[in-house]
Amino acid sequence: MVSAKFEVYRFDPAKDAAPHYDQYSLEMAAHTPVLTALLRIRSEVDPSLTLRYSCRSAICGSCAMQVNSKSRLACETQVGPEMERNGRIVVEPMRNQAVLRDLVVDQEPFWRQYDKIQPHLILDPRHPMPEGKENPMTPAQVERFHETPRCIACAACFSACPAVEADPGFPGPMALAKLYRFVVDPRDQAHQARLLAIQPGGLWTCLRCHLCTEACPKDVRPSERIRDLKEMAIRVQGATENGSRHAVGFKENIRERGVLSEAKLVRQTSGIAGMVGQLGQGVRIYRKKPEILKSPHPIEGLDEVRKIYAALDHPEGDPP
Amino acid sequence: MKMAYYPGCVAQESGKELDMATRWVCRNLGIELVEFPNFSCCGSGFIDEANEVLNVALNARNLAIAERAGLDLLTICSTCQGMLSLANLRYTDPKVKARVDGALKPIGIEYRGTTKVKHLLQVLVQDVGLPAIKAKVRRPLQGLKVGAFYGCHLLRPADELNWESAEEPHSFEDLLAALGATPVYYRGRVMCCGFPIQFVKPETASRIAGHQIDDAKAHGADAMATPCPLCHISLDAYQNQAAKAVGHSLDMPVFHLPQVVGLALGASPEELGLPRHLVPTEAALGKIGTRAPA
Repeated sequence: MVSAKFEVYRFDPAKDAAPHYDQYSLEMAAHTPVLTALLRIRSEVDPSLTLRYSCRSAICGSCAMQVNSKSRLACETQVGPEMERNGRIVVEPMRNQAVLRDLVVDQEPFWRQYDKIQPHLILDPRHPMPEGKENPMTPAQVERFHETPRCIACAACFSACPAVEADPGFPGPMALAKLYRFVVDPRDQAHQARLLAIQPGGLWTCLRCHLCTEACPKDVRPSERIRDLKEMAIRVQGATENGSRHAVGFKENIRERGVLSEAKLVRQTSGIAGMVGQLGQGVRIYRKKPEILKSPHPIEGLDEVRKIYAALDHPEGDPP
Repeated sequence: MKMAYYPGCVAQESGKELDMATRWVCRNLGIELVEFPNFSCCGSGFIDEANEVLNVALNARNLAIAERAGLDLLTICSTCQGMLSLANLRYTDPKVKARVDGALKPIGIEYRGTTKVKHLLQVLVQDVGLPAIKAKVRRPLQGLKVGAFYGCHLLRPADELNWESAEEPHSFEDLLAALGATPVYYRGRVMCCGFPIQFVKPETASRIAGHQIDDAKAHGADAMATPCPLCHISLDAYQNQAAKAVGHSLDMPVFHLPQVVGLALGASPEELGLPRHLVPTEAALGKIGTRAPA
């Protein structure tokens, strides 16, 4: 048994001017799920505590919330380890979504981003499926997206994502991982259109910080699928966005000397006009760090690096 | 202790003060740095986005260079640490290995997959050890509240890095405490600095940096410290942009990891390259009774 100390976020916009935290202490077995503890608080102490849940078995994705600052499913997070980690259990609603009441958030922005990626197979009417037949896939084809169907849309990744926090227009990890699933599905016939549509303001805002992959309770690994999408987008469309220009520019930059030429990279990404816009900042940094304008010496063994590029970097290479 | 020194691009260029401080600290802690002028860039995550296999192959070449010399690799950048660790992991996939070997073998490079990649933070905490560092402290950072800022790729993905808890790391804070400073715990310490999109979506990047600096400040930090020169660019060189993005001044001095160690071990601000910072470090140095850099 542990003496679990809870600090639970409370906010009722109809009554409260600002959120506050209520404290509860309960004796319980260390393996008790946080969700079970919250339901005990609701039935034994405060019936007004509001939360969203359903299956209690980490299948429905309803009970995602912040437990000690991490986005988690409350039903599969145990009280004991959280007490050990933090000495108390702070329970808060998920981030990046407005609080409706207590631990319940407005999921509308999350689902809106999901809808935008058209989360269904798109078929080309000119190539209909053969009548009366299934559309079989080989095991190798399924293997390419075996992780993403595990997603239960709990929005833990959306809550953990710093890009969503800073830019509400960013689709977020779950929508992009789902997009990946359709882009590599051999039955879908809109692969290219999907990759073209997601790029402006979408794909390249991902920071590859991997906070989504850490938060995901189902190991969907959204950040790695977003990486795959980026490489595929470059293959389909070339370097047309700031983000793809930066990635391709970086790759070309290193081919030249083996090490980075910083000023040249800014030019490769932003173009001359963009460089002019950043002139003030550039001068500020140059005063303290004049190296930014110097081209570094090429590394020894640059010919080896160039041969590796020659062997592996051709635009029509195998898809990732 | 002898290690293959992998400084990374930025520490040899605009972040030269990180290289200066690393050399000072390693000299004073008995870590011999063996240099390899044939190391290439780790790809910084960008080459991985453009061409995954190419990125693994370039880093397998770097790892093979250290392997041939029989040395573990020392990184001083969270992103270098992440990319080289990633290459080690992806190289265990037979399909990736076949393509990488296909590019390396014809140029006479063989990688057996044995090179360990360690960041300076890990070496200081796990190999040198906190008691040994504590014994060399000549200028305890007493009264200085420091918010450690880890940098994503030193911690995540957890199964790739696997040397410290990705969710609740404590190495950096333990080290700061051993140096006499007061570590500040805040949510942003394991968050992203925004750097990867600094040139892609500058305003979004700066807002992200601003959020983390604000968070450190709200928890009482006098200064921040980072083991990653890319985070340092976002948090220090672009702090004025971050302040603009969040709409108020930030005034947060940001140290590189070996700079805080060097300060405690008695190095002068000049030896550690502190005058090269964009945000002045005077206020923080004043708290530990050190004169401001010239």
